Amino acid sequence: MSSNRLPLPVPVTFSGKWNQKQYTILKELGSGANGTVYFAVCNGRKVAVKIGTDPFDLLMEANMLKSVQAHRQERIGPELIDVDDLMYAGRSYSYYAMEYVKGERLDEYVERVGADWIPVLMVQVLNRLAVLHRQGWVFGDVKPDNILVWNKQVHLIDFGGVSQIGRAVRQFTEDYDRASWQAGDRRAERSYDLFAVAVMMICLFLGRQDWDRIRCQVRHLPTLCDIIRDNKGLSLYSEPIIKALYGKYVTAEEMKRELLETLRSRVQATPARKDGGTLDFWIGSLFVASLLLLASSLYYLWM
Amino acid sequence: MNKTATLRQILVVTDGCSNVGISPVAAAALAREQNITVNVIGVIDRDEMSEQGEREIREMAKAGGGLSDIVYPAQLSQTVQMLTRKAMTRTIQHVVHQELKEILGDSSVVDLPPEKRVQVAGMVDELGERSHLDVVMLIDTSSSMKSKLKAVQQAIHDFSISLRSRSGTSRMAVCSFPGKQKHLDVRIPWTEQVDKALQLGSNLTMSGVTPTGPAIVEAITLFEHVELPAHLADHYRSPVQRNQDDEGLLQDHVF
Ligand SMILES: Nc1ncnc2c1ncn2[C@@H]1O[C@H](COP(=O)(O)OP(=O)(O)OP(=O)(O)O)[C@@H](O)[C@H]1O
Repeated sequence: MSSNRLPLPVPVTFSGKWNQKQYTILKELGSGANGTVYFAVCNGRKVAVKIGTDPFDLLMEANMLKSVQAHRQERIGPELIDVDDLMYAGRSYSYYAMEYVKGERLDEYVERVGADWIPVLMVQVLNRLAVLHRQGWVFGDVKPDNILVWNKQVHLIDFGGVSQIGRAVRQFTEDYDRASWQAGDRRAERSYDLFAVAVMMICLFLGRQDWDRIRCQVRHLPTLCDIIRDNKGLSLYSEPIIKALYGKYVTAEEMKRELLETLRSRVQATPARKDGGTLDFWIGSLFVASLLLLASSLYYLWM
Repeated sequence: MNKTATLRQILVVTDGCSNVGISPVAAAALAREQNITVNVIGVIDRDEMSEQGEREIREMAKAGGGLSDIVYPAQLSQTVQMLTRKAMTRTIQHVVHQELKEILGDSSVVDLPPEKRVQVAGMVDELGERSHLDVVMLIDTSSSMKSKLKAVQQAIHDFSISLRSRSGTSRMAVCSFPGKQKHLDVRIPWTEQVDKALQLGSNLTMSGVTPTGPAIVEAITLFEHVELPAHLADHYRSPVQRNQDDEGLLQDHVF
């Protein structure tokens, strides 16, 4: 339990015991609770391979990934490519291979491109969640670490927390977990994910350092409300964020709609020429937002 | 498979070695004999845990058919819920594997192609979510634990939220050891919801005594319908560590 690391370096090339697919490992991407993820090549295709320390949890994750892909037209998450066993050092390890998702972690991306992008990215996240919710699932472990941005599009990864609506949330991170903030239980409801999106927004606006400082304060909603009030960027979006924190949204679409409305009214409220370029930026970002929305609907239509 | 299982667990939260009474490893083996899984969490402050303490924690969980981990107070809440969940699915996995073994004959689940095993994992998860769960939290309140009690209280409250969020029914009870008269005091009797006002720190007997083993034995009696059969009652009286036999203990889970 204490060690989630694999005992030995994995062989650079290996083939699966059952399906015989051959993999060449290029580098380690990171390790989580259930195993280690490697960047690899299989049949000339770039893949991410997760090799498990606990075969059950790993297979469960593969099962989740498979379940959310049952709807081919509206696929959320990386495609599941292979599930197999790997023999090495006399032991058998289970692994699964999925589509390699290129991109930068959401928080790093925001740090680079600026806070103005946060609402736009959140709208995208809410769109992805809406699809998942419609299919009867809750993502569970919504956090910047599990969202990658590539080509100005967000992608969800790590489906270990995906839970059937009505069940208990399988995996969560305390920072974004509504029960830890004394704001409800851990039942997989759509509002559970929306709460996490709201906290994630706060965290992104504050930046890593300030967020780390807040983590030691009392975990309850008034703490978060104070932060929202005191932060210029956040206070503009206080309405949708606070509504999500208090579980007032039933669906991701609702939250998305109100977030977009706030974004729009903010653009309109910005004086046409104050410190030149602001309006241009806002019109620009609103335009980008609509384009992205269009793009993402097309994306799901054509997948 | 439209059945529900009843799962029983004892979760020990401690920061060091037991120093009185029956060996906690033997007590954990005894619990396992009663279809009660024992999970153990070691909590450490800045100081590391002694090697001996660490070993005891590992061996207790092993003998009790459960899992163990050693963490800082800040990680306690999450660890409690993760360990419980993992131990639950492990127990069910054993039972399902046994059943499948009967169907499959000699070959075991590991010999199934991965796609089939993915299905089995889904089934195990489903059973786990719907099963009935009884957990006794056994909290070491010997003097060295004093600084960690706030985190423990938080973890108890947090755990009760997690239990309430399950689809299956769950009950929990909270005990502290050493107790005033007995080896353990029941602080919260069986309940489906824990009030966060619980003050573990109040009303404690502060002593250097850590009767982990005896406390586990007493905790066993908190589970209904559990009467120690004669040979086990003897066992309890003679604190000899037994070689636990690994198989056959999970057969009588009520499915
Ligand atoms: N399909 C993928 N494509 C590209 N990178 C991936 C993919 N899946 C995971 N990763 C990367 O691999 C790393 C480890 O991922 P993993 O999901 O195992 O763990 P985690 O999210 O860090 O932890 P936990 O499972 O405990 O939440 C992460 O940094 C993630 O960015």
